Amino acid sequence: MGNGGRFARAAGIAFGLIVLASAAQAAPPPLRIGWLSSLTGALSSAAIAQNQGVQFAVDEINAAGGIAGRKIELLTYDTAGDPTKAVNFAKKLVFEDKVQFVIGPVNSGESLATVPILAKAGIPNLVIGALDELIDPHRYPLAFRAINTNRQWISPANDYALKVLKRSKVALIGDTSGYGTASTKAAAELLEKAGVKPVYSVLVDPNKTDLTDEMGKARAAGADVVMPWSAATGLLARVLNARGEAGWKVPVVGHPALMAPPIRKLLNKPEYWENAFAVGYVSTTYTADGKLPERTQALLSRIRQKLGTGELDLMFWWVALGYDTVHIVEHAVKAAGGTEPAAIQKVLEATHELKGVFATYSWSPTQHNGFPDHNTLMNLANTFHDGSFQAAPQQ
Amino acid sequence: MLAGALFLIGLPLLAQDEYQLHLACLIGCYWILIAGLNLAVGYTGQLSIGHVGLLAIGAYVFAILAGRNGVNPYLALGAAGGMGGLCGLLLGLPSLRLPGFYFAMSTLAFALIVSELILAQGGLTGGGVGLAVPGFPKPVDTPAGFYCLVLAVSAVVSLLAWNVARHMWGRALIAVRDSAVAAAAVGVPLFRLKLTVFVFSGVTAGLAGALFASLQSYITPDTFVFDLGLFFFVCIIIGGRGSILGPFLGTVVLTVLPEAVAPLARLGNFFYGLLLLMVVLLLPEGIGRLVSVLRERFWPVRLESVAVAPDLPRLARALGHKQP
Amino acid sequence: MLAALVTGIATGAVYAAVALAYNLMFSTSKVLSVTTGHLCMLGGVLGAWAMGNAHLPMPVALALAVAGGGLAGWITDVVAIRRVLARSDEHLWLLSTLALATMLQQAVGLWWGTEPKPFPRLLAQDFGAGLGDQKYWLPVVVAAAAALGLELFYRRTLYGKLFLAMSEDAFAARARGIPTDRIRSLSYVMAGMLGALAGFAAGQLTFAFFALGLTLTLNGFIALAVGGLGSNRGALAGGLALGLVNSLATYGLGGEYQQTISVGLLLLVLLLRPQGLFGVRALRPV
Repeated sequence: MGNGGRFARAAGIAFGLIVLASAAQAAPPPLRIGWLSSLTGALSSAAIAQNQGVQFAVDEINAAGGIAGRKIELLTYDTAGDPTKAVNFAKKLVFEDKVQFVIGPVNSGESLATVPILAKAGIPNLVIGALDELIDPHRYPLAFRAINTNRQWISPANDYALKVLKRSKVALIGDTSGYGTASTKAAAELLEKAGVKPVYSVLVDPNKTDLTDEMGKARAAGADVVMPWSAATGLLARVLNARGEAGWKVPVVGHPALMAPPIRKLLNKPEYWENAFAVGYVSTTYTADGKLPERTQALLSRIRQKLGTGELDLMFWWVALGYDTVHIVEHAVKAAGGTEPAAIQKVLEATHELKGVFATYSWSPTQHNGFPDHNTLMNLANTFHDGSFQAAPQQ
Repeated sequence: MLAGALFLIGLPLLAQDEYQLHLACLIGCYWILIAGLNLAVGYTGQLSIGHVGLLAIGAYVFAILAGRNGVNPYLALGAAGGMGGLCGLLLGLPSLRLPGFYFAMSTLAFALIVSELILAQGGLTGGGVGLAVPGFPKPVDTPAGFYCLVLAVSAVVSLLAWNVARHMWGRALIAVRDSAVAAAAVGVPLFRLKLTVFVFSGVTAGLAGALFASLQSYITPDTFVFDLGLFFFVCIIIGGRGSILGPFLGTVVLTVLPEAVAPLARLGNFFYGLLLLMVVLLLPEGIGRLVSVLRERFWPVRLESVAVAPDLPRLARALGHKQP
Repeated sequence: MLAALVTGIATGAVYAAVALAYNLMFSTSKVLSVTTGHLCMLGGVLGAWAMGNAHLPMPVALALAVAGGGLAGWITDVVAIRRVLARSDEHLWLLSTLALATMLQQAVGLWWGTEPKPFPRLLAQDFGAGLGDQKYWLPVVVAAAAALGLELFYRRTLYGKLFLAMSEDAFAARARGIPTDRIRSLSYVMAGMLGALAGFAAGQLTFAFFALGLTLTLNGFIALAVGGLGSNRGALAGGLALGLVNSLATYGLGGEYQQTISVGLLLLVLLLRPQGLFGVRALRPV
């Protein structure tokens, strides 16, 4: 090998570089999706599960060649549940990372701050917070909700308590957090619309050590159903414990957190979880023959390896929701033939019955809440098994 | 100094995008509060860890007046400052007579009470849902314009703080921090001085709250967590108590660092705690003094030893002795 | 109503135990440590981990939790107090203990998780006991026993007398040949063990929750200030008063104003009797 060899090698490298460069030029630019997720902090369990779904969907789509040949580049930022950080990262995603889509943030309190910012910047935003105030097609034309609204949680619970269980003396219990106060108020309003005034209503600190008093007062007020609106599993467990220890046979109907797996360990006795009903989803409810809906089962079989080999100990609907958000982006980009925000808006507003795993979504120019009412149903709280639940009896 | 000022004024032109400008505005808002708080913490030694409560009050006053009642934003900004000062007075009156730990704990309790009341008074504050906050009218409605407003307010506040610290009562304040008893003994009007400084810090916290709320464009009680109060406090201690540049640098570094280095954000408060502990143990004067401390250590200023040789004959003459 | 009284007494006992731990550390160092509530939180979390996750028998878990609390107390002294006390700046200990408390809380949050987790049953008892349940009376027993034990310790043992001597005048004690550094370390270890024991006993009431520390630091301090700094009787009385006021106010008005009410109690006492119910007025500011 002399000079000739070296020259040949150099030429080879140069040629390789040129080929690489032209290939890079030929490949379409990646699709950048921002994902604002509170992976740490006080509200991390939902975000961690959703992140599994988002990540899995992105990997799947990329392995299959991307969306219309464009790979997805996912930019995940951990907001730690802090609205100030969420605003910072939203601006970073828009102005520095120049993303074409933003998914999240996870919590309503953060979304309230980021939705107007993303609207002003003209970036399509998939909202996964439940608070009703987040969506407004006129002020935030590019914000589309993929999860149910808070009302879609409260209404089925109210209907179940009033119509199925045939109760009319409601005791409302909320926590003093932002979400708790807002939902307890909304629940009282919806009940009054149905002609029922709660016989007892109280807000308690989510870390209050004991709820014997509150439950005692509810009982003394003649309540025949207890409806807790709180996402704090500790508080919900104490409601159930106080009910069980007082030997009070009253149904408890409320927020999905009422059936969250961590509750099991916080209960004094497993039977305290009986006669409790929480709002759940058709997609993560076992049918009468003990099977999951087809699409849920298909996703579960594919993703199980990723989530660990044993039975799931997280609520699978979180994973399904995260998975769906990426596929909604895929649907919008494919149908719009690009990432032009106005075109995306048009496509999403014309979307009718897009079948996802978590739900079937439809948006219209006047309705940016894509989640249909009939995709929720009541679950029996103590039936958690492998990520999903059983339906509550309908009489 | 001049170069720094020019840099700050020219920042909107230098900033590559709106995100960087947003961070600059955020730093400005924090600094307005910290400049006032620094007088209380760094100069008079009133360890308030609950200034986030005053920030929240300013933010909500601004949001309620300018957002809901359509008051002119500049008037609302002034009202927020005034309300912050008033609440600072109310908090300061009973608690400034208390010794250090008692005072710190009552400011902590104050911050908790404020967030409790914000949640409880839902009709006024929007409760857990929070309030949308309007921006300022033209020409401050652009990010660069808003930056200029923040810059102007922080310049005025810094100037006032600097004036107080250097010219008016700076020495008296430091004397109060180091030994309240000794300060009182030499005639420093202890209580009035402490209260004035604390009310001033309340005014700046109220102003900061109003600007912060407008920058965030939406506020909820979740925004004003205790951790934020701790953050302000750490900025001052790390930067160095008893100086103005130190806490300013502390504010800049601690705001930018978690943005730039993701693992630090994961550690969150642990990182702030560690920094605070290291500074307290190793460098109580703050990182702002690191250079001068190191210089003292390695290149100490050599004190010339002057041999004192008394001029005995002259002394003797002065005393009227005769030469032997 | 009866339930409000019982829960009030039970939570009051936890505050009282934290106040006792404050006193113990204060006696030898004249320092009020921000980590005090966190020592209590640590007892609960360690106990829940040892029994719930590691499946250790109860006595072993108890020993582990108490040892962990003692270790945290010792670390507080070594890291945050020892070096700082030598300096004349009276605010530094507040900063260093605040820093340590913040680190401790965040570390537990990262390790243990941010959700409250269950604390296992300590004694075999059916859950149907209602207000006679162990979760209400265990903290009361521990607080009472701790107060009694401390009283005996101060009066009957040599080390107790050394503590008293240091609390009267640390310089004089040192001049008389008392190894003040060692005694102070001992008091911090004891305070850590006491706090952790209380946290362990109250685990079923509070659940094992990482953010409990700061709440307990604040409420234990309010109990201490109401009862009178330095007095163990005051700590018990202040803790019970705070627990009852809190619980009855929540019973009457709902939980929205509970912080406001407990601080109201503190301000009232401080205005009327600045040294607290059982406190002694300090006469020497210099």
